[in-house]
Amino acid sequence: MNVDALDLSHLLALAGGLLMVAGVVMLRERWLARGTDGLAFLIGGWLAVLAAVYLFAETWGAEMGTTYALGAISLAAYTVVAATFERRESKRREPREAAVDPEERPTNWKRGTGKALLAIVLAGVASIGIGVAIAVQAPWPPQDRAVIGGLLVPILWGGGMAWTLCDPRLVRATLILLAVSALGYGIAFLPKALS
Amino acid sequence: MQDLAPEKKTRKRPFLPPPFVRAMLAGHSALGIAFAALIYIVCLTGTLTVFMHELKRWEQPDAPRIEEGLTAEAAANAVESTYRKALALNAAHDVFVMGPSSTQQRLLANFHDHDSGVEGHWLGDAAGNLVVEEHAPWAEFITDLHIRLHLPNTWGLFLVGLTGVALLSSLISGLLSHPRLFKDAFALRWGGSRRLQEADLHNRLGVWGLPFHVVVSTTGALLGLSTLIVGVLALAAYDGDSEKAFATILGPLPTADETAAPVPDIAAMIRTVRAEHPDAEFASVFIQHIGKAGQAVNLGMKTPGHLAMSNAYYFDGAGKPLGDGGLETGTIGQQILGALQPLHFGWFGGFAVKIAYGILGLALTVVTHSGITIWLARRRERGRPAPHWEKVWTALAWSQPLAFAAAALAIFAASEAFAVPVYLATTIVCMLASQTAGEARTVSRIVRVLAGLSIVATVFVHGHALWDRMQDPAALWVSGTMTAIGLVLLASALVPMLASRTRA
Repeated sequence: MNVDALDLSHLLALAGGLLMVAGVVMLRERWLARGTDGLAFLIGGWLAVLAAVYLFAETWGAEMGTTYALGAISLAAYTVVAATFERRESKRREPREAAVDPEERPTNWKRGTGKALLAIVLAGVASIGIGVAIAVQAPWPPQDRAVIGGLLVPILWGGGMAWTLCDPRLVRATLILLAVSALGYGIAFLPKALS
Repeated sequence: MQDLAPEKKTRKRPFLPPPFVRAMLAGHSALGIAFAALIYIVCLTGTLTVFMHELKRWEQPDAPRIEEGLTAEAAANAVESTYRKALALNAAHDVFVMGPSSTQQRLLANFHDHDSGVEGHWLGDAAGNLVVEEHAPWAEFITDLHIRLHLPNTWGLFLVGLTGVALLSSLISGLLSHPRLFKDAFALRWGGSRRLQEADLHNRLGVWGLPFHVVVSTTGALLGLSTLIVGVLALAAYDGDSEKAFATILGPLPTADETAAPVPDIAAMIRTVRAEHPDAEFASVFIQHIGKAGQAVNLGMKTPGHLAMSNAYYFDGAGKPLGDGGLETGTIGQQILGALQPLHFGWFGGFAVKIAYGILGLALTVVTHSGITIWLARRRERGRPAPHWEKVWTALAWSQPLAFAAAALAIFAASEAFAVPVYLATTIVCMLASQTAGEARTVSRIVRVLAGLSIVATVFVHGHALWDRMQDPAALWVSGTMTAIGLVLLASALVPMLASRTRA
């Protein structure tokens, strides 16, 4: 990379960073506006964010540039939120600021243990079953099958955990997870069993 | 995530129905309470692990630092030198050499023999000569705490992987229990109601950092659970042979031929790769069964513009190319595989990316901490305070920097064998002693003062022990940063206390 190219990439990166901050600031202006006011800020904000992503991708290539842009939008938003925080003295809250409380559920140690087993063990068993089924049977090259199947495991497990802990009906969650497990391991182990 | 109720008299139907939000919040709270301590420790140590290479340089400030990439000849010399060292210890089985990059500025050379368990870790110079044994016990203590919580490898990895799943699950349930995602997008109301303040902090840091949080939790969970997943995959498709299953993903394995053979010509392999990719730089080389006819070479070469640390090029011992891993430009699965580790640790793109990962990692740690603080504040608000848990949680959170510094002091003063016991003892004593304090705020102040003092003391002891060996500027930067962190902790505890006394 020669000096001119280096300068150009620095300039593009700087412009991308400034556009990202400007985009987030405009989105905040829209957020402050009432009703349909500030529509221009909404459109301008997102256009600025997209332009920043484009500049990052232009500077570092699509792979690195998009990754940097995702990090930059988080950091730009943190900066804007921190710079515009509201200091309060009174502990009184406006009615619209009243918090939602979690659902109160009657519970005991048996139910707690059951929930834990569902969320940690059975959701894990089911998600590994689905991931391995994809790793074995999906119509892709072996490495793609293995990596995508593996990547799905924590995502499905996390989703299953969130759902089982939210669903008050233990039996329903148990039956669904057992069915998913049977399906996953059936698909994964069927070729070996039949051979 | 905690959030605020929709207005009672709204014209529109709420984005998420209130009963669904309440159910999600109940699940979110239960998960948070169950895993909070583990998630907090893994996030905090993960934030420090981003800077693992800098911490290692701080501990060994006189080891060679290499600014430029290694030449092919230097890489080959490093392999030869490592092989000779391994032979001398009768441990010439697997050899790994990593060159300097934008992520780290050292030549690392490791060897390991599975049968005897003998291993060596050396640092080399720009010519590929091994100069000094690597010795960075504190950085390794922090990294090991992040990767396996100092538990036996399989259990530790699994528990950390499960923690990653719990974190990912919390992100999902948090997002689905956030009806005012857009309405409060930029609100940060500080002071006044503790619950509102913590909820704003929790939600703003959580939502705006979501891409980072999702990426690190998913990649962390996958890295931790990979042994388990591949184990099941091996049962399903590889007759239970995990090595075979891993080979499908990670490339060819060595063959069983133990006949003596020359060490592979790494320089020639690098030239072979460069003939097709002139901008490829040497990143690393891993040789299994080195010096045997069945040896297998995995040569890592990096081209610019990719997240992967390098692409893997496979050769047999005679230098015959066996294809490549496609980690930079291959199929989607191959590219994901290449990006997993750098995306998880922030080891791509240089020091600026590490700083960004440091900020975002700290944000995720604060999100975890504030989640429990909100739960405790809600209990207090509803007339069911849990003062013991308030003190335990405060002690656990603030004792971590104190315990890390105590472990460093134990290493400097005695031996690295004391690091884990001292860390555990510090954490447990803080949690137990917190029960003698009147309120959680007192615990927070006392432990922050102790943490600040111990961090500054660590910098002082390090400087005293290594001042005449401070050749690496990273050592001064790390010491400066640690001093600043120590002073901020001290000030955050002492300034409000002095101010309230002055007012009184």
